[in-house]
Amino acid sequence: MLRFLARRLLQAVPLLFVISGLVFLLIHAAPGGPLAIYLSNPNVRPEDIERLRRALGLDRPLWQQYWSWLAAFAGGDWGYSFSDGRPVAARIVERLPATLELVGVSIVVALVLTVPTGIVSAVRRGRWFDRLTTTAAMAGISLPAFWFGLVLQIVFAVGLRWLPSSGRTTLGGGDFVDHVQHLLMPVTVLAVVQASGWSRYLRGSMIETLGQPFVLAARARGTPERDVIVRHALRNAIGPVLAIVMVDAALLVSGAVVTESVFAWPGLGSLFTEALARRDYSVLMALLMLTSTAIVVFNVVADAAHALIDPRVVDV
Amino acid sequence: MIAVAGTASACARRGSATPPTNDLLIVGYDREPDTLNRFSTHILEDIQTCVVEGLTTTDERMNVVPLLAADVPTLQNGGVRLRPDGGMDVTWTLRSGVTWHDGHPFTSADVKFTVDAINGPNYNPESTDGFDRISSVDTPDALTAVVHYKEVYAPYDIQFIRGTLPKHVLEGRDIDRAQDYNRSPLGTGPYRVAAWKAGEYILLERVPHYWRGDESPRIRRLMFKFIANTNTRINQLKSGEVHVVALVPWDKQRELAGLTSIVVHRTPGNAYEHVTLNERQFPPFADVRVRRALIHALDRELFTKTILDGLAPVAHGPIQPVSWAYTDRITRYPYDPARARTLLDEAGWTAGPNGIRQRDGRPLAFTLITQAGYAIRENIAQAIEHQLREVGVDVRVELHDGTAISALWFEGRFDAMLHWWQMPADPEITTFFAADRTPPAGRNINYFKDDALTALLYASDRSVDRAARTQLLHRAQVMVSEAVPEIPLYSVTRLDAVPASLQHFKGNPTNTGIFWNVHEWEIK
Repeated sequence: MLRFLARRLLQAVPLLFVISGLVFLLIHAAPGGPLAIYLSNPNVRPEDIERLRRALGLDRPLWQQYWSWLAAFAGGDWGYSFSDGRPVAARIVERLPATLELVGVSIVVALVLTVPTGIVSAVRRGRWFDRLTTTAAMAGISLPAFWFGLVLQIVFAVGLRWLPSSGRTTLGGGDFVDHVQHLLMPVTVLAVVQASGWSRYLRGSMIETLGQPFVLAARARGTPERDVIVRHALRNAIGPVLAIVMVDAALLVSGAVVTESVFAWPGLGSLFTEALARRDYSVLMALLMLTSTAIVVFNVVADAAHALIDPRVVDV
Repeated sequence: MIAVAGTASACARRGSATPPTNDLLIVGYDREPDTLNRFSTHILEDIQTCVVEGLTTTDERMNVVPLLAADVPTLQNGGVRLRPDGGMDVTWTLRSGVTWHDGHPFTSADVKFTVDAINGPNYNPESTDGFDRISSVDTPDALTAVVHYKEVYAPYDIQFIRGTLPKHVLEGRDIDRAQDYNRSPLGTGPYRVAAWKAGEYILLERVPHYWRGDESPRIRRLMFKFIANTNTRINQLKSGEVHVVALVPWDKQRELAGLTSIVVHRTPGNAYEHVTLNERQFPPFADVRVRRALIHALDRELFTKTILDGLAPVAHGPIQPVSWAYTDRITRYPYDPARARTLLDEAGWTAGPNGIRQRDGRPLAFTLITQAGYAIRENIAQAIEHQLREVGVDVRVELHDGTAISALWFEGRFDAMLHWWQMPADPEITTFFAADRTPPAGRNINYFKDDALTALLYASDRSVDRAARTQLLHRAQVMVSEAVPEIPLYSVTRLDAVPASLQHFKGNPTNTGIFWNVHEWEIK
């Protein structure tokens, strides 16, 4: 098992190296740079732009910029933000708790919705519950997150005034209830969207598994139906779903970009939006590498978890 | 949804909305500042205005008024002296009894230190504009700073509008990395930074002994909440979670009109929306008949009445009515499509197949770029496309994000662009129209060349006599109106939403921002 994990992680290193080069090229290919924002101020003269370009090292050839970024990054130095001059690592660390809180709660809620929904709609395929959840899931998948978020705000914050429309805490607040109130709407958006997709996968996977001979055999042996579903079918069906959950979770950890922006949630997603608008290359690179690493690591974790549930996987 | 509703009702009425009070006023802010060091940031920020004070500021009518200076130096009061060598000396007398928030006295040494730091090798401020023309600063006494300029510099009176750097805190340090100062600047203003929560808010609190007296400011704390999403910001205003939103988008004005707790102030702004015509990229724009035809073809009055909801007046030139240099005695171009067609005919652009005019087999067709995400701007662009099509000109609208737009215009890679300039408080328009100020040397992105106008503009920059400078700028406005280097559309009106209970709000047309008189604000 350990050798399996080590091999998978080692394989990821060249992959991440290639990704870093592509991402670097891609973000530099976008028109404008970290200094473009200064251009709209008539008091910033061309001499100023040139001076800042040199000071930030943006006057060097692109490969040099990439090389010095890579050398520093590999050594654990993530550099300084182009927009506020602070260490990139510090900017990410201060945003991380908010994102982990939002994403962690959302994933738990989404799983709580996914598992029973997926199982019941697979077992009672075509019945009213299945039809209801199928319709709801289609709606959940199709809803644009920003629109869904704004509708929730209009209803629960502007109309009913039950919930705060954005942010993480109230000034002077910050107790448990305050946190929960701020979490409710963004978590609803994320959980509904994720659970809609995941429950569909689980349903499909369950239906396939329930048709397998070993399930028939278990039933023939007189195993109670509850055990057939949970211990035999679910255990086999959950593997592929877990892989999808892990990749989605990795994407969310690097920032639920749209949801965080709509709810002014102070996490990595809002940081990404800001950094993108400012072409803050160092912050963008760090966030994108974080995402890539998270996807690789979470995939390995998913494989490991799958292997624990189903030992045949290790040979793959 | 059900879960939300259930739990919400459980903790219902606990409420996140608090009414504005003299204890706490909450401002919905569209972004998190990069830095609170005023010399390092790309615009004057509202938050800094509450903390750091300049020697002068601009008031609600864009007059330059003294703040930490005892008065504004002029030729008349002897504060400005022209030297025979072509340079000039400006003597600033500082207000006495002003201290930094740590109790250190504010003196002329801080003024000198500021100039030396900005011109020195150890700091990278955003702009050195004006400072680079200063040769030295003398400090004959603690309250007098004599600034020696190498040449006559007309906007000298706003040279220190951003404030000064505290010498006793920053001397000998790498200011770019002085995060203690950059995140919580030491100022002389009514407020200081109490907390900065990354991604969430900056909280300012009243200083104990502000130099205007202990009864000022009246409001104890100001909270700037960062809410980048415009819809969310407006929703918070409606739900009462924030009390002030500066620069309300015009298409949101009607949504707020029905709220009794909010007043939306209108301030005639110092910015103008216009269409830049890039003569270098699209040579047909170099013909003044074509430019006049384009402006005649646009019904700008209709734009302001319909798309702009009557919020902004039609603009006729780069200097706005709020400026002391403004004149309305210039050439104007009413909506007259027949005249537009005649002018295009005269210029040799005749009707071709599918109604698009052409000359020598080339169609009169260009691309109009503008920034995505602004509903009003996108609507105006479509109206322009439609109206120019009526006179046989083919326009294709292209949307880009803000950073991309900046890069495109800086490199001159566009035909026409719909955008606005936030004009400086001083009516220096040289950078936009002088022939030698095309990028990268300036912002003449019309690539317009007129030697007489160029000479006139430089002469006005080197005139510190208000009457003489006014004459020169009036003549420049007449010349610009005749040449139509660009198509002015409308003068930008600032909309600022504040609580109906807020007293002494004055507004401000410049990027000094609405908080310039925050020390007078009071909730009643």
